[in-house]
Amino acid sequence: MKEDEEFLKKMENLNVPEVNPTGHPKLVKMAIMNAERSAALGFWLVAVPCYFLACVFMYYFFNRHVSWFGAMFKLAEGLDKTPGIDFMAPIVLVVLPIVCIIINALAITHVHYEKGLSGKPGAQEFIITIKIKTWNILLILISMAIVFTFIAYTMTENISVR
Amino acid sequence: MKLNWFTRKGIIFWPASIIGWIILFLAAAYAVYTFIDIDGRSHSVSDTMINFVFNLLLIGLVYSIIGYFTEMRGEVD
Repeated sequence: MKEDEEFLKKMENLNVPEVNPTGHPKLVKMAIMNAERSAALGFWLVAVPCYFLACVFMYYFFNRHVSWFGAMFKLAEGLDKTPGIDFMAPIVLVVLPIVCIIINALAITHVHYEKGLSGKPGAQEFIITIKIKTWNILLILISMAIVFTFIAYTMTENISVR
Repeated sequence: MKLNWFTRKGIIFWPASIIGWIILFLAAAYAVYTFIDIDGRSHSVSDTMINFVFNLLLIGLVYSIIGYFTEMRGEVD
């Protein structure tokens, strides 16, 4: 009996941790894709357009008319003129960087929809979290630069004021 | 179906099974073939190199795409 009473006293005197039910609930923020795998594939996706653009920039902006860079233009012209692989140039310069943007964005972004999170009844929140992963962010920026360069080139080549 | 043909170290996908090694061997053989083919048609070293590097990057891209979808997965990000 004494043991039981002592045990009950011990239990009554225990410090119970305080839990705040209105506090922010912990949430595991899982991304859709693996960040490292996406970065590995992203590197190869931007390598080809980066190589092409590097040659073009060297040719025009540094005025280095070396045959290496001239040959790059011949290759691009060859791709455009050869039937069967004439679709390659837009795929290399636009589709690959866009795929790179998508897979890397999915790897670092977490989207969460919550109702009544801020305490107000009926309140709706759409929470977007971006993980700071250097390589993924760098690849997204490089891919965006490639796409915008190609868009700018296409617009300046095809739009003319008459 | 889970395919464990490759394992990734950094940005390189290494073969982890016999099928992975066959794919790597085929990619390497195709790279050598393109080099010989381009070298036979080109007029200068730079002409050969520029076309070969471009083709090599494309081969690396296709190989990496295969590796990406058939990688051995054990970790959770």
